Amino acid sequence: MSVPALQVDNVSKDFGRIIALRSVNLSVNPGEFVSILGRNGAGKTTLLNIISGVSRPSEGSVLLFGTDPSDHDNKAKLAVISHEMFLYGNLTAVENLEYYAKIYELADATQRIQEVLNDVELTHRRFDLVSTYSRGMTQRLTIARALLHQPALLLLDEPFTGLDQHAIGMLISLLKSQKELGRTIILTTHDLHTAQELSDRYVVIAKHRIVKDGVMAETSPDVLRSEFFSAIGGEDDS
Amino acid sequence: MMRAALAILKKDLRMEFRSKESILAMWIFSLLIFVIFNFTFEVSRLVMLEIAPGLLWVAFVFSGMFGLNQSFALEKENGNLRAMALMPVDGGQIYVGKFLSVTLIMLMFEALIFPIFIIFYDLQLSLEMLKLIPVILAGTIGFTSLGTILSAVAVHTRNQQILLSMLLWPLVSPIIIWSVTLTGMVVSGEVTPAFYPLLLRVGAFDVIFFTLSYMLFDFILED
Ligand SMILES: Nc1ncnc2c1ncn2[C@@H]1O[C@H](COP(=O)(O)OP(=O)(O)OP(=O)(O)O)[C@@H](O)[C@H]1O
Ligand SMILES: [Mg+2]
Repeated sequence: MSVPALQVDNVSKDFGRIIALRSVNLSVNPGEFVSILGRNGAGKTTLLNIISGVSRPSEGSVLLFGTDPSDHDNKAKLAVISHEMFLYGNLTAVENLEYYAKIYELADATQRIQEVLNDVELTHRRFDLVSTYSRGMTQRLTIARALLHQPALLLLDEPFTGLDQHAIGMLISLLKSQKELGRTIILTTHDLHTAQELSDRYVVIAKHRIVKDGVMAETSPDVLRSEFFSAIGGEDDS
Repeated sequence: MMRAALAILKKDLRMEFRSKESILAMWIFSLLIFVIFNFTFEVSRLVMLEIAPGLLWVAFVFSGMFGLNQSFALEKENGNLRAMALMPVDGGQIYVGKFLSVTLIMLMFEALIFPIFIIFYDLQLSLEMLKLIPVILAGTIGFTSLGTILSAVAVHTRNQQILLSMLLWPLVSPIIIWSVTLTGMVVSGEVTPAFYPLLLRVGAFDVIFFTLSYMLFDFILED
């Protein structure tokens, strides 16, 4: 058995009096595509933050590829897309990507930058300041930035936010090709249909715990829908 | 080895030269300080010479606070500080990058405001004045080496600017007081033998502040 790409062991997280996660266990194999589902406030973002190492668990531990998430080797393999853009408005798309290319020590920076800009269809606006971009264009650049260093593990927190139908299709096919390249992907989304289309596995978080961990291929859309709603129950999570 | 630090420096300078936001604001702010003090107090030239060094450093420090806030507001804006925590790079390198950019921007502003200072206080230009270069350099580095790490601490909090002032002032004040003394010696043409040991002391504090911050910055990036 190979080392899991991600191993979450008994993780709990509190923010003062607020409980965000309780005894979460999750193991993800390399190349797996896992969707994390749950209502607003269920703890999806908190879990991704703990996995990426930007937030510490109150209890429990996380391993990426068998080692500590804070190892430079792991950080170099990781990409995060969240509601934060990680971009400088006063730089152009190319300047932002050049900056990240240097940070990630990319050898073929110019070529990679061209490729990812092309992937997200922003080549024609590459010399414009990011502050002049529309919301969806900014999100597309965020995606380009995340893919720039060819990460082995992608943590995507509602990456479809702000994208139009065309761009959603573009991201879906980008994610499919990432999967074909063997990348491990963890996605949070409120769109069951997209989760169904992309993932091998789905995990439902409710009341701060993982209440369902299922194989997507064995689940029809109707079953997924009813399982999801019975898993999250009637009460509010926050 | 310092590749990431240089990348951070380069992007900061690029943004500053594009907007000129910090340097221009700092410059105007200092000009105001000079104008106000020059025209509100009718004092003899002798007294003016007494207070001019203090005024110069007041201008430097208040403008420097502004520069620090700007520089970290930029990182906070789109979650870039969190992006830094996610980078496969030592905290020390990030510190050096931010320190260099804040320091260079402040030195550029100081070079631009200094001629105004000379004119306002009618100072004599002489070779002696060159002694101000190490003084300003050492005082500025002391201020920015501490200011950079404390800004990174304060940026996580709600009352960012207040916290920064509360942390920074007590720690940096010895350096500023010594810098004022040293500047006074040069401006009044009375460089005593005490000058070099005092300058050396400022330099020693710079080294201590810088080294400590460099080592501690990793802890600050996590929240
Ligand atoms: N920094 C924080 N301080 C205090 N409470 C927090 C913080 N971050 C998250 N929480 C709380 O933790 C719980 C889980 O939040 P989280 O953001 O993980 O939910 P989510 O599943 O991502 O929701 P959404 O679908 O709205 O994005 C919520 O009750 C939230 O209020
Ligand atoms: Mg969320």
